Amino acid sequence: MRTSLINSLLFTLMLFLIPLQLQAKDMVVKAPPESLGKYYPPESKEPKWIQQMHKMSGNLGGVFVNLREKDWDNLDKNADQFVESYKEASEMVPEWEEYFDLKAAKEFAAAAKTHDGEKIGKAVGAVGKTCGKCHADNSISVWTRFHWPSFHKIKITDPIEEKELDFGKYMGLLSGTFKGVTVNFKEGQYDRSQKALRAFKSRFMELKSTCSKCHTTDDVKLFYVGENVAQAFDGLQKELTAEKPNPGNFWKNVGILGKQGCKNCHLTHRSYAMIQERWEEK
Amino acid sequence: MKVPNILKKTVPVAVGLVVLGYLTLYFVINQTPQWIPENLTRLARQADLLENPEAKRCFECHKEIYAAWKKSRHAIAWVSETYIEDSENRSKEKCLPCHIPRQVKNGEKPQPRLDHRDDGIYCVPCHVIDGKMHGPYDLFSPPHPTQKNLQYRESKFCGSCHEKTFEEWKIAGVEDTCQSCHMARTESRLVQKPVLSWLHSKKQVGDHSFPHGEITQEDLAVTGEISGKEFIVTLLNQKIPHRVPTADNGDPRLYLYVRFLDDSGQEVDRFKEILAPQQDTALLYGKEARFQYPLTAPVRKVEISLQYKPAWSKDKSEWRQLSYPVTGDSG
Ligand code: HEC
Ligand code: HEC
Ligand code: HEC
Repeated sequence: MRTSLINSLLFTLMLFLIPLQLQAKDMVVKAPPESLGKYYPPESKEPKWIQQMHKMSGNLGGVFVNLREKDWDNLDKNADQFVESYKEASEMVPEWEEYFDLKAAKEFAAAAKTHDGEKIGKAVGAVGKTCGKCHADNSISVWTRFHWPSFHKIKITDPIEEKELDFGKYMGLLSGTFKGVTVNFKEGQYDRSQKALRAFKSRFMELKSTCSKCHTTDDVKLFYVGENVAQAFDGLQKELTAEKPNPGNFWKNVGILGKQGCKNCHLTHRSYAMIQERWEEK
Repeated sequence: MKVPNILKKTVPVAVGLVVLGYLTLYFVINQTPQWIPENLTRLARQADLLENPEAKRCFECHKEIYAAWKKSRHAIAWVSETYIEDSENRSKEKCLPCHIPRQVKNGEKPQPRLDHRDDGIYCVPCHVIDGKMHGPYDLFSPPHPTQKNLQYRESKFCGSCHEKTFEEWKIAGVEDTCQSCHMARTESRLVQKPVLSWLHSKKQVGDHSFPHGEITQEDLAVTGEISGKEFIVTLLNQKIPHRVPTADNGDPRLYLYVRFLDDSGQEVDRFKEILAPQQDTALLYGKEARFQYPLTAPVRKVEISLQYKPAWSKDKSEWRQLSYPVTGDSG
């Protein structure tokens, strides 16, 4: 277990050293092939694709660990098993067959069995490139499809009207309420601004109920919905109840809410939601 | 009819022997099970019981505990509609460990299991450890070996999955454990299948329906008062040694509605508070929550309503209603 972890780490490190030749400069994030779904929940009980990756990279990394330790028996074993696990992987997703180069894998195994470090180092390049190419093309898609839960399936109950809304619709509502605060302030209608602030705060804080749909620790709530944001709300409230509101303080707090409350959450979460939305369109 | 003399003598002796035998066996089984030779017990072993059977298999003997469990949320952890919806058709990785645990160990987050997933959180993941049936009793049980393990009476056991609630309970610093309230013990038998059910004495058996508990007026004090130009509502969780409501990932809520009415019963203003663990607003044990509202001119009456929504439902139910007249010039 431990050694296979070390192997994976070693190998992952190695992959970075292999220069990647990406043909085009544009990046296309295509939905992953249908048949990959078989290897992830809910279709599969376990994340079988990842397990296969670990098996393969354990064998490959193992060759280099064995080489350093001059453990020739295990080196030969790992070399053979690598060809096997690489071949297994190549048969899992028909749409991805082209990414694999069985000849390169076999040549690597043959080189490995010479126990000659220089030859092994040379031979790993060709097979390593096949790993790197597929990862560069597909990792983001696979993460977005199989590791990012969908915001579009989350419903939020608006605390004001107590109606259930889709996440995106709720965002629209939230954004509208935020504008109610700022527009009224600009117009000098502080009473209305204050009323809107009450609704905005409760709508914003309602977002805290969504984190646990994807996260298991409360620590994440230190961000976007944490202390800084709560203080900004207090600051706004203070200005709006003051005898003579201070626009400088008001806009400073609006800025904190917009940046730390809205923007930062969008920067971490929305890219994935946008990709998923595109895929769901078709 | 005339009973032959010989019978007159032997029947009472035979009955006597049977009774004596039964009493001896009853004594040995319940008091000194160690007197029973291992080899003899082993003959009665049913090996499949330790090979992760389904809950139905346990039901063959433990009928009452099974029936209680069947009523619990644990039993539907994998099949409830709420779960399926919230876990995106059971694909969210973070949900698996606790909805289909392989083995629950005292205070450790479990790994997800591959078999009998429809049984959710059931007998095997909680009781089978290293080839033995663990539980709070040392007893004679021919079908499977048992092991006394007092961790079943500790909150930490439940804390393996109910992590946040367990932390809240620790801060409360009370003696009562999770099990004291959510697995209250009653005198009963562990087994409802002859002959073992005839031979085992009654024991204190925990309620495996894991009742959720009703909040009583003693648990949660609600008061409203007028103070100058304000109306103040205070809520105090005085009895429940964790937040009210509490949850790790679910979203149970208490809603507090405060309505200000004028002479004719028309609503002048209304306020609402959401008391929910996910929003860090649920009521901490022994800590007062205070809400202040401005009282404006025409208010003659304040109505308070507290409504509860459990994690697994979208519907609220009325928990308590209170009403306060506003007299004099306070309004
Ligand atoms: C046909 C495409 C493809 C090829 C070829 C490929 N991989 Fe992968 N690999 C993936 C994808 C997709 C992921 C991301 C899986 C995920 O996160 O669910 C991945 C992830 C990994 C991971 C990380 C697993 C984790 O726990 O996140 C390792 C290690 C890995 N691959 C090793 C290799 C090695 C070594 C090779 C070549 C010998 C290789 N892969 C070839 C597609 C490929
Ligand atoms: C639809 C699912 C989803 C929801 C809802 C969601 N997140 Fe995330 N968030 C993720 C994923 C996936 C990541 C990537 C890393 C991970 O899994 O933690 C992430 C990353 C983060 C990170 C980056 C660092 C870290 O700990 O992973 C923070 C901080 C964060 N989220 C906070 C929040 C907060 C606060 C909320 C609620 C207001 C929230 N998230 C709601 C899915 C979600
Ligand atoms: C929990 C992280 C989070 C926070 C905090 C957050 N947002 Fe969002 N927002 C999202 C995500 C995710 C989407 C994409 C939703 C989708 O694609 O359905 C989104 C989408 C939006 C949209 C586009 C809605 C649409 O029509 O699809 C607007 C507008 C928006 N947010 C405004 C705001 C404002 C204003 C704030 C701060 C007051 C805010 N958001 C705070 C996560 C967040």
